[in-house]
Amino acid sequence: MRPMLALLLALSLVVPAAVPPLAHAAEDVKIALVAPLSGRWARQGQLKKMGAEMAIEEINAQGGIKALGGAKIVLREADAGDSVEKAVSAAQRVLTREKISAGIGSWLSSFTLGVTEVAERLQVPWLSLSYADSITERGFKYTFQTSPVSSLQAEQALDLVTDLAKKNNRPIKKAAIVGDNTAATVFFFKPLREKLLAAKGIELVVDEVWTPPLADATAIVQKLRATQPDIVFYGATNFPDSVQVLQKVKEFGVKSPIQGVGAWLVTPEYVSTVGKETLDNIQTVVAAHPVKGQEALVKKFVERTKEPFMTQDPLCTYSHVWLIKEAIEQAKSADPKAIRDALAKIDISSGPAVAAFQPPRVKFDERGRRIGATPLIVQWQGGEPFTVVPLAAATRPVTWHK
Amino acid sequence: MIAELVQYVATGLLVGGVYALMSIGLGLVFGVMRVVNFAHGDFMMLGMYLTYFYAVSGRVDPLLGAVLTLPPFFLLGVLVHRAVLGRVTGGGDPARQQDAQLIVTLGLSLIITNATTMLLTPTPRGIRTTYATKAFALGPILLNQARTYAFVMALVLAAAVYLFLTRTDLGKALRAAADDPEAAGYQGIDVRTMHGLAFGTGIALVAAAGGLLATYHPIEPNVAVNFIVLMFVAVVLGGLGSIPGAFVGGIVIGLVQSLTLLVLPFQLQNTGVFIAFLLVLYLRPQGLFGRRLRTV
Repeated sequence: MRPMLALLLALSLVVPAAVPPLAHAAEDVKIALVAPLSGRWARQGQLKKMGAEMAIEEINAQGGIKALGGAKIVLREADAGDSVEKAVSAAQRVLTREKISAGIGSWLSSFTLGVTEVAERLQVPWLSLSYADSITERGFKYTFQTSPVSSLQAEQALDLVTDLAKKNNRPIKKAAIVGDNTAATVFFFKPLREKLLAAKGIELVVDEVWTPPLADATAIVQKLRATQPDIVFYGATNFPDSVQVLQKVKEFGVKSPIQGVGAWLVTPEYVSTVGKETLDNIQTVVAAHPVKGQEALVKKFVERTKEPFMTQDPLCTYSHVWLIKEAIEQAKSADPKAIRDALAKIDISSGPAVAAFQPPRVKFDERGRRIGATPLIVQWQGGEPFTVVPLAAATRPVTWHK
Repeated sequence: MIAELVQYVATGLLVGGVYALMSIGLGLVFGVMRVVNFAHGDFMMLGMYLTYFYAVSGRVDPLLGAVLTLPPFFLLGVLVHRAVLGRVTGGGDPARQQDAQLIVTLGLSLIITNATTMLLTPTPRGIRTTYATKAFALGPILLNQARTYAFVMALVLAAAVYLFLTRTDLGKALRAAADDPEAAGYQGIDVRTMHGLAFGTGIALVAAAGGLLATYHPIEPNVAVNFIVLMFVAVVLGGLGSIPGAFVGGIVIGLVQSLTLLVLPFQLQNTGVFIAFLLVLYLRPQGLFGRRLRTV
C-alpha cells in the first residue's frame, strides 16, 4: 500500500509539470444584470435579459473579445425584486461574490438610483436606461445613462405633440397629467406642471397622481371626461393600473389623445388585455425603439424569443452589452476601472453598440449622460407600436386623433 | 354634486363586493382554524389563472369560469390541509403551533408565487371581455358591467356560504368546531375533517373571487400583493373569525377607498382605509362584528 501511495504522490507532482498547458483559454468576462426578475416589474427584467442574452450570444459567436484573446462574455443576473432595498442587496451580492467587469440595470429609476450607489462604492461601471435626472446628478464616476433624462423628455415630448396637434388643426389648450409617483414619471411631470405647460399657454385641467396599485380608475377618468383635455400626459408604470385606466377611457368614451412616458406602454401584453382598437393612436415617448433599417435585428429578436415585436428594454440592454464589449476592446482589459475610463472616453457612432440610441452615437459628458440623447415617439397602430418621431428614423407616419 | 357622491358610492360598492368575497374565505379559515393564511392571495392568483385557461382553451366566459374554479380549488384546499397545514393545526402547544403556521403559510405563498413565475413567466395575461369596457348607465351614474356582474356573483356566493353555515348540519358542525373544538369533539364532530372542509371552502371562495376579478384585472404571478393587505384589513375590520364581518369589512374598504377621493388626493387613497381601520380598532377593538373575546 505504501509504495502505491508514494507512486501516486510522485505522479501527482510530475504529471501537471509534464503535460504541456493547453492553449491558455482566456478568462470569461462577467457582466452583471440587476433587473426585476420577480415581483411587479418582472416582465421588464425578463425583456432586458432577452436583449442581453442575444448580444452575448452574438459576441461569443463572433469570437468573443479580441483584445482579451477571444474571452467570452458571461451574464450574471441578480433579481432586483420589487423594492429598492431588494435591488440594492441584489447588486451588493452580485458585485461582491466574484469579479464583475461591468453592470447593467435596473429598469425602474428608483431601483437604478439605489443600485448605482453600490456600483459607485465598489467601482464597477454601470450602464442604465433609466430616465430620472437625478441618476446622473450625484457626481458619480461609474454611472452612465444612455437615455435622455425625464425633464428633457418632457420638454421634447411637449414640443413634438404641440407641433403635431397644430399641424392637424387641433391646437392644444387644455392638458391633463395622470400617472403614478415612481421616479421617472415624477421627473417627467414636474417640469410640465411647473413651467413648460404655462410657457406654451396650456391650461392644466386635471392633475392626478397615485401610489401604485390603483384600486379603481373611475374617478380619474371621470375627470378626463368632464374636462376633455386636448392631451393627456400619462405615466402608469404598473401594468394593472394602466389597464384599468385604458379600460375606463374606452368605457367612458374619452377621446383625448394620450401621450405616455416610458416603454411600459408599448409591451405586447397590452394587445391581449385591452385590444388593439383601444390602443390605436396612443403614443409614448421612449428612449429607444426599433427604427428604420433595423428590420433584420427585430426579425432575429422575434425569432429567438417568440415575442411579437421588440421594444426599448431588450433593445437598450442589447446595445449596453455591445457597448461594454467595445469599451473592453478599447481598454484591452477586463478591469472595471479601466472599462470605466474607456466608457468615459468612448465615441462611437456605428455598430450594434449604438443600435438602440438616437442619434446613433455614444459619447458621454462628464456627468455620464449620453451627449445629444433624444427621445423617440412610438405610436400604436393596428396592434403594433411603431416609431413615428423623429421622421428620419420613423417606421410609420404619425396619425393624430380625429 | 349629489350625482358625483352617488357615483363614488356605487364605484366603492362594486369594488368592495369582490374584496368581500376574497375576505370571506380568509375569515372562514381564521374563524375555524385560527390560522392566518398568508398564502390566501396566492390561491386567488391561481384561481385567476385557471379562469384564464378556461377562457383561452375552452372559450368559457370568465363569469362561468369563476364558478368552475370552486370544485378543483376546494379539492386543492383539502389536499393542502391534509398534506401541510393539518400538521401544524389542532393540538400541541398553541404558541409554537402559531409560529409554525405563520412560517408554513408564508412559505406556501413564496413557493406558489415563484413557481408560477417560473412556469407561466411573469408576462401579464388578460381575458378580454366585451363587458369590461362597457357600463350600465343609470342617468348620470355609470356602473361598469364587469364589476357589476362580479359584484352580483360575489353576493350570490357569499349568500350561499352563509346559508351553508347556518342552515345545514355540516355548516353547523363547522361552526361548532370553530366555537369550541373540544366540545365539538365530544359531540362526535371530527374537528380535523372540519378544518379541511373550512380550508377547502376558503380556498375555493378566494379562487372564485380571483376568477371574477379576472374579468377586468390583468393576471400575473404577483397580483396577490395588491390585495392581500386589504383582505387582512377587511377581516380584522369586520371582526376576526366573523364571516358576515369579513363580508362587510370588504364592502367598507371598497367604499372608504372610493369616498376618500372626495376629500384626499389620489396618492392618499389607501390612507383613508387605514385611518378607518385604526379608528375601528380604537373604538371597537373586536371589530365591527367580532365578539368580545376576540379582540386584537
